[in-house]
Amino acid sequence: MANAIDVNDLRKTYRTPLRRKKIEALRGVSFAVSRGEIFGFVGPNGAGKTTTIRTLMGLIKPTGGTAKIFDHTIPSRAARARVGFLPETPYFYDYLTIDQLLDFSGRLFGIARAERTKRAGELIERVGLARARTQSLKKFSKGMLQRAGLAQALINDPELVVLDEPMSGLDPIGRKDVRDLILELRERGKTVFFSSHILTDIEAIADRVAIIARGQLQAVGTPAELIRRTVLGIDVTVRIAADADDELTKTATRVRRAGDELSLTLPTDADVDAWLARARELGARVVAVTPRHETLEDLFLREIAEAEASPAATEGRV
Amino acid sequence: MTGRIWAIARVTMLEAIRMRVLWGLVVLVVGSDLFGLVLGEMSIRDAERVARDVGLASASLWGSLTAIFLGVFLLYTEVQRRTIHAIVSKPIDRWEFVVGKYLGMACVLTFAIAIFGGVTLLVGGGVLGGLVRAIVLAWFEILVVAAIAIFFSSFSTPFLSGIFALAIWVIGRLTPDIELAAQAGSSVMRAIAGAVLFIVPDLHLFSPSGRVVNGTAMSVHGDFVDWGYVGMAGLHGVGYIAFLLALACVFFQRRDFA
Repeated sequence: MANAIDVNDLRKTYRTPLRRKKIEALRGVSFAVSRGEIFGFVGPNGAGKTTTIRTLMGLIKPTGGTAKIFDHTIPSRAARARVGFLPETPYFYDYLTIDQLLDFSGRLFGIARAERTKRAGELIERVGLARARTQSLKKFSKGMLQRAGLAQALINDPELVVLDEPMSGLDPIGRKDVRDLILELRERGKTVFFSSHILTDIEAIADRVAIIARGQLQAVGTPAELIRRTVLGIDVTVRIAADADDELTKTATRVRRAGDELSLTLPTDADVDAWLARARELGARVVAVTPRHETLEDLFLREIAEAEASPAATEGRV
Repeated sequence: MTGRIWAIARVTMLEAIRMRVLWGLVVLVVGSDLFGLVLGEMSIRDAERVARDVGLASASLWGSLTAIFLGVFLLYTEVQRRTIHAIVSKPIDRWEFVVGKYLGMACVLTFAIAIFGGVTLLVGGGVLGGLVRAIVLAWFEILVVAAIAIFFSSFSTPFLSGIFALAIWVIGRLTPDIELAAQAGSSVMRAIAGAVLFIVPDLHLFSPSGRVVNGTAMSVHGDFVDWGYVGMAGLHGVGYIAFLLALACVFFQRRDFA
């Protein structure tokens, strides 16, 4: 069975209008997204995430390479018919209500009126906009617009959902709702491809992750495959009086104090047992001892630093 | 296909009727028509005749300016505001989008010309055959001008699109004069004039009043062109509209929406 997304050596070069300088936004990006998985796409600002997504959605023409959605070459109508798309910072006709927006979106997919109305009602409830049904989108907050965008992305019950920064503008409750929605979609057999700056969200729900920087993929794989399992340090938290901790913090890093609670990280070669024994002698009460493994954020920063340091990083610059 | 095009046309109409400038122009034209009536009362000629002339001129002039104003922003604002991202990413072809936008605009302009024409008929002495045909010709002209504006909007900014559209409207209105001037000029002038007249739609076709057609001087107050002429002019207009929209689709197809 074909993958949901197949991208092969995708390239996009822009030329500035008068000065004819070349900007390589994508420099040979290749990856595949399997059906039914949640695929996270991360990278710093200007890395090429949105360019990749807009190319997949037919908004931008690639300069080279190919991309397919369910084996249909982009940007064919057959490809787009099976996709729901939430643009980054979505813009809609602000004089429409959410019902009118979903009705309009449904018409573009050729959905019959009765079905459009039914789905619109369900989606409005699902994204938490039931109370705002009579308001025009002009009066929506950024978070509400984001929810409206999610609703219009799902109106056609798509097999593949492409979300460009879906958590943008949402408060923590909103972000949790979106994460739950993405997980629900996967439970229903959908494929979700989303980009985000919030690495904790990606780490929490993505089955696989791709890191892009300077128009090139730096790493692709499951978080478990990508993140080094080696221990980076030992995080220790103790309760101790402030004037008694000088000796304890000598070899530690990431030292933080909050009231009588002291948190720090000991190096991996530290004698933790000896340190804890000394801390107890000084009157400390141990709260937590946890080995610190690499997080997705650590991986992300490592990959970006390597990308910046590589000779290829200087190519394609304006 | 028609469902998608009509969906775009509907939202375009919804957007257009919310534009205050549009309603301001409608009020302006209606005001002009009524002013024509006042002028007629003050003139030595038949008041209704003056009102008809002013009404038709207003409908043509302001209708064309309305078409240019609506048309030059039509595609440009979709791209600038990025509302197009959530549309073109759906299974709709770009040409369907362009045609839908034009159709929506055409519906709004038709409604506007119906108001202009209705007021002109009211102040002009009722439903006279010639006057109705003149209004229909003005309608065709406005639709052609709208297509010119949307063509430029497919690749240019509103300011430049407006300048170009206005220029073509003026040149299109002056085709007989350009022809006459070219005949008296050098061969280079004739060649240039010939090229311009070939490219620019003959908008003078839609205002035959004051011209001689088939040996008869045309006047909306007396002998005027028949429905056959209106049909031929309409076909000419539809042909140009189709040509301009096709070009607009080609340009729009090539654009990146970054």
